Amino acid sequence: MRCYNCGCRLSEKDFCTNCGADVSRYKKIMFASNRLYNDGLEKAKIRDLSGAIVSLRQSLKFNKNNIEARNLLGLVYFEMGEAVAALSEWVISKNLRAAKNIADDYISMIQENPGRLDSINQTIKKYNQALGYCQQASLDLAIIQLKKVLSLNPKFIRAHQLLALIYISMEDWEKAKKELQKCVKVDMNNTTTLRYMKEADDALEIAEEAKNGGKKKKQEDILQYQNGNETIIQPLNPREPLGVSTIISIVIGIVIGLCVACFLILPAQIQSAKASVKEQLVTIGNESDAKSITINDLQQNVQTLTEENDSLKAEVQNYVGTDGIIAADDILLQAVYLYFTNPSDVVPIADLVESIDTNLISTSASEAFLNLYNSLKATIGPSVSQKYYDAGYTAYQNGQYADAITNLTKAVAYSPEDVESLYNLGNAYRKNGDTAKAIETYQLLVDTFPDSARATKAKNFITSLGN
Amino acid sequence: MINFEEELRKFHPSLEIEEAEEAIYNQDLTDVADVLVGMIKEAKTEEEQG
Repeated sequence: MRCYNCGCRLSEKDFCTNCGADVSRYKKIMFASNRLYNDGLEKAKIRDLSGAIVSLRQSLKFNKNNIEARNLLGLVYFEMGEAVAALSEWVISKNLRAAKNIADDYISMIQENPGRLDSINQTIKKYNQALGYCQQASLDLAIIQLKKVLSLNPKFIRAHQLLALIYISMEDWEKAKKELQKCVKVDMNNTTTLRYMKEADDALEIAEEAKNGGKKKKQEDILQYQNGNETIIQPLNPREPLGVSTIISIVIGIVIGLCVACFLILPAQIQSAKASVKEQLVTIGNESDAKSITINDLQQNVQTLTEENDSLKAEVQNYVGTDGIIAADDILLQAVYLYFTNPSDVVPIADLVESIDTNLISTSASEAFLNLYNSLKATIGPSVSQKYYDAGYTAYQNGQYADAITNLTKAVAYSPEDVESLYNLGNAYRKNGDTAKAIETYQLLVDTFPDSARATKAKNFITSLGN
Repeated sequence: MINFEEELRKFHPSLEIEEAEEAIYNQDLTDVADVLVGMIKEAKTEEEQG
């Protein structure tokens, strides 16, 4: 016990040895609180929970810091199904003494089990609902709800009492008494329970007397005695059943049992097994469908990837093959090298340039390649054209028209603006007997160089060849 | 004889867990010891003033 003034531990003296405050009355209050706590504890031990509550509350009225009394009060409330009241006491107790307090364990026990907390909450809600039904005179609904409450918390005293009250109002004394007996098992000295119990007992006694009035003779055959709260009725001369009839009864019982097994239980079990197999088959079917879909997806993926692979391979081939752009790069670089080594010897350079596939240049060549290609072609163009022209013209004069066509075609290709090359190519075609190509070449000359002297001659040849 | 209506009025709805916090805050925790200590302090103050 500590001094209210300075907090120092008190001795057996009536004053505080530290601050000198008079603590005689204070000590008496503390002792009274402790006495009431002891009283509450004694009552709780013999399951007089209502009495324990009264004593413990008084104890706390004297000393609110009596932690043991508060914790026990919470425990008693909890035992009676009053979970919220119990939690309130434990929370206050924990706040008054944070360390070494068993209330902490009680709170944790409830809080760490969400299922239990939920069950407590459900119990309270259903009880309140049942009370509402009672007030609305829906007693059947209230009974159903209270039975649910008691299945969740069989020690909820108030629910038992309310159910008993409903049974009393319905004059169902036996059921009322049964409920009240359950209350007594939890809280033996509850005034409400005892009052209801007395009412039920009185009513049952009256009913029993009325029943037994005209059946005295029959009552002589039975022995009736009281065992605690229960009335035991025992027949005095029970008749033993005959042996043959017992055997027949047993045989009939066995036959009925077998019939029930064969006609009721067995088909139900077979049906259940079939349903289970069917369900499994459906599950397996669903799984199989899912796997088939997955396989189809994967196959499509494989096909797409294969196609992509082929396309990429073809593309790579375009780059690295003998006719690919890389090969064309090599040829062009070689031609450039030859040009730098010996610019006057243009024929091998022209051969290399001509060996490059023009289709490839138009489709796959880079801008740098095109620039270099066109630049080299323009640089060597006049010299090459002249060489081809000379060779072609010589062949033409010698009557070798096929060679003339080959060389003059190249000369035209390198110098499209050279009217002489074009004119002599037309002549070579004409002399070689290729009239169509000759007319085509003359026409190209007329279109390209309309004002030249060769154009007039070309027109005449076109006219004469056309006829 | 028990009167159902009268008895029913003695039953009150239980506090739900959500309402517990409010119930704790509203609880009057004043005890006899507090009253005594208050009285002693009051008497001392009066003595000092007198």
